[in-house]
Amino acid sequence: MLVVLLVLPVANASTPQQHKDYPQGVSSISPGSDLWREVRQRDLPISGITQVQGVESGVLINADGDRWARFRIENPVRYAPIVLLVVVAILVLFYALRGKVGIEGGLSGRMVKRFTDYERVVHWTLALLFLFLALTGLILLLGRTLLIPLFGHQVFSLLASASKESHNLVGPIFLVSLIMMVVSFARRNIYEKGDLTWLLKGGGFIGKSHVSGGFFNMGEKSWYWMVILIGLAISISGLILVSPNFGQGRVIMAISHVVHVLGAVILIAVSLGHMYMGSIGTEGSIEAMKSGYVDINWVEAHHDRWAQQVKENDEVLTAEEFARLHGRIPESTDNATGQS
Amino acid sequence: MARMKFYCDAERCIECNACVTACKNEHEIPWGVNRRRVVTIKDGEPGERSLSVACMHCSDAPCAAVCPVDCFYTTGDGIVLHDKDICIGCGYCFYACPFGAPQFPEAAAFSSRGKMDKCTFCAGGPEEDQSSDEYKKYGRNRISEGKLPLCAEMCSTKALLAGDGDVLSDIYRKRVINRGASAFEWGVNNSKIPG
Repeated sequence: MLVVLLVLPVANASTPQQHKDYPQGVSSISPGSDLWREVRQRDLPISGITQVQGVESGVLINADGDRWARFRIENPVRYAPIVLLVVVAILVLFYALRGKVGIEGGLSGRMVKRFTDYERVVHWTLALLFLFLALTGLILLLGRTLLIPLFGHQVFSLLASASKESHNLVGPIFLVSLIMMVVSFARRNIYEKGDLTWLLKGGGFIGKSHVSGGFFNMGEKSWYWMVILIGLAISISGLILVSPNFGQGRVIMAISHVVHVLGAVILIAVSLGHMYMGSIGTEGSIEAMKSGYVDINWVEAHHDRWAQQVKENDEVLTAEEFARLHGRIPESTDNATGQS
Repeated sequence: MARMKFYCDAERCIECNACVTACKNEHEIPWGVNRRRVVTIKDGEPGERSLSVACMHCSDAPCAAVCPVDCFYTTGDGIVLHDKDICIGCGYCFYACPFGAPQFPEAAAFSSRGKMDKCTFCAGGPEEDQSSDEYKKYGRNRISEGKLPLCAEMCSTKALLAGDGDVLSDIYRKRVINRGASAFEWGVNNSKIPG
């Protein structure tokens, strides 16, 4: 009341020019801010009714929105490139120190069937879809900081638009491919006795000796379940984000986005390790997914328990048999048992 | 320099929705998109209040900060605008905005989003002022004609005000003072105002 009394004479003499008498610093605050602060902090309900129909159109203030935006800018946008670069650096360092992990006694030329054609199609379908989604996703996540300075807004907008549309289109196919992965690989990836030993021995990364393993070793199984579980989380959150027609609110969208981006960055980071070990990291590994056959010496080295099985079942093909199976007779059969 | 602001006086708004209608008509806004809406809290109860809400043209706009293609810009008058040629319709600005201002027309199946549309403070977009291109994408550019946003201009109770934040502050302050003054004249304290 005292304040009202003090300013009353000024108010009563109100003319259009009067506002010039007020101190400038005070008047620059939007008068709306008091009102909105009240809406947010008082006991007033922050949502009401409205004639306008739309998602959460009755909500006056969605305070979580700004929190989500800040999370996105301060965490995934800032740290995702650092995380991925660190993983690449670790792999380069590992390769420099350890080199390609070889096989004792080299390759024998005698082959064992590891994956059927169908299994390889399932693997590569998932792999290619994953790479495409990872690339388009990273463009959308990091483009503003990394690509706009290079290409400018116009060109990047085209790229981002194409990325968004194709990401949304390919995403659901990834889920189908993931389910095919569950159907064809899940049984062999169930953890069994001996997996713990593999973990305790550091998977053979520490020291020179190879560690005992079955058809899949503990590391491969863990990667598999990671792909399935995180992949499902990414797929489901992606479906929530891609179809706003079910009326899901902004908080659900924001949570889905956080799950989506965190899952994706983790999976991309670990997939770099998987790609490394499947190609230049380990001698002979790429053959499993290239031809479906692996060298028996490779099996002995990395999957000794499975090696025992295939020997007992007499599944090992000689080099000649293997070549004949693939419709090409080796130039010299004598050479086949030797080093290749 | 002027900073353009909206202010809606909850003591005056009578929820007539004329601002919503005027906005839709002035800018030929498509079905399903609403740049402005009136929200009523405590509807039918004591203390019922209505507010007309649109883009608040924030000084530090969360939509602009989160946009993955950086399509927002702020004019010299402090109006937050966006470039529809850059926008990819991702919806992030809608998640980030506290006021629910960004709107998306349905582009294709599963309500996939078209390019974002929001209140422009009747200031159009990056296209040439008053061009047909600008009108098609952003609606009327009244600011370039020296006029204020239509929603506020035609508000019958003058609840919704638009213009220079400093001027609005003065009008608001005078209103508050007058309300206090009339209560003083009644000879009662605020809790005993009749009605």
